[in-house]
Amino acid sequence: MKQILWTAGLIVALSGAAAPALAHHSLQSEYDINQSITLKGTVTKVDWVNPHVYVYLDVKDDKGVVTKWAVTTLPPGNLRRGGLTRDLLGYGETVSILAFRARDGANLAFLRTITFADGHKLEIWLGDATKENP
Amino acid sequence: MTKHLVVAGAALLLAGSPALAQRGRAGGAGAEANAAAAAKPTPRAADGHPDLTGLWAGGAEPVKALAPGESTRILFPVRTGPDDKRIFDEMDRAAKERQAAEPNKPPYKPELMEKVQLLSDKRQFNDPSFYCKPLGVPRMGPPSQVVQSPGLVVLLYQGRNTFRTIPTDGRAHNADADWTWNGDSVGRWDGDTFVIDTTKLVEDSWLGADGWFHSNKMHVVERLTRKGDTLTWSATVDDPVVFTKPWEMTPRTLRLNPNAKALLEEDPPCLEQDGPHIVTDDHH
Repeated sequence: MKQILWTAGLIVALSGAAAPALAHHSLQSEYDINQSITLKGTVTKVDWVNPHVYVYLDVKDDKGVVTKWAVTTLPPGNLRRGGLTRDLLGYGETVSILAFRARDGANLAFLRTITFADGHKLEIWLGDATKENP
Repeated sequence: MTKHLVVAGAALLLAGSPALAQRGRAGGAGAEANAAAAAKPTPRAADGHPDLTGLWAGGAEPVKALAPGESTRILFPVRTGPDDKRIFDEMDRAAKERQAAEPNKPPYKPELMEKVQLLSDKRQFNDPSFYCKPLGVPRMGPPSQVVQSPGLVVLLYQGRNTFRTIPTDGRAHNADADWTWNGDSVGRWDGDTFVIDTTKLVEDSWLGADGWFHSNKMHVVERLTRKGDTLTWSATVDDPVVFTKPWEMTPRTLRLNPNAKALLEEDPPCLEQDGPHIVTDDHH
């Protein structure tokens, strides 16, 4: 069963002159939507902090060489309202992460989906759910 | 079961978001809900003044955590589909449209407009709140919770776990106070309106993300008015160094959290890690 809960509708309310900072930074300024990457590795740390939650990952290649990656997502408040807690982000688990790479070439990406070993998924993303394929 | 959840959008990328869920909209269902809440009796303290005490933030329903192994989809609302490759651009465009449509901008002196624009264009490197510094008074807006007692009103803000203590015993400003982000405040009642007078505000804060800087001569007068189960916050900002006249900020009306057991949640710490990776001047 799919359950769609709309708790939005607050953008108008926050567009007032001195509403608290509407946003942190432009995703466009840091990440490339055309550079998707799938990272398979072990979650070594979850930084449950503002302004963005970070998930750190050790990714091992075919030769056993480990590369460290950081994957960032929405603020903790957004995740919390979505039912997530930090312990649900896979610390210590092997996961597959779909994300979009940082423009500066760092081992940094913006999260879209975490898929866990048992098959369950957390998609934390952007968009209008009524416009899946515009 | 996969849940589809569209999160409260305005909080995106916001380091702490006070009073989100109960904030009334300017029109539509929010205005109706505000009117219904305002029609309720206004509680009064022993001294006869309205009692502002209450939680003015958070949702009526407690946040439910997902079960381990449960899938979910959390979408921050953007006016395009999740697979649209323009989705990052769309976020910036929508935010700029909202800002351009903002009718109430601070009345800067003409010779300072160029500086405001420069700061705004490079906000990702200039905005103090971007790098986890406090929003400060008055950018922090209305409180998330008020605790009113004789001689003292305590204001709590969920964002950055912030507090302010406002004396109401008739004292004058503290001449020895240092300049701070929330300044030196004293409170008084003007009829049924609680008036907070704040001085000694550091010039490090901004009044909004559009490069709205100010001087340390800024003087802020906030007003809190309770009608029924609504709380309306407004502020007058005077800064003779940068403004041509005092600026009336756009008032905001909050509704009391109807859940008597609801508690203000701790805001996680702020640790900015993106600045070094920003490679363009794109901004919201």
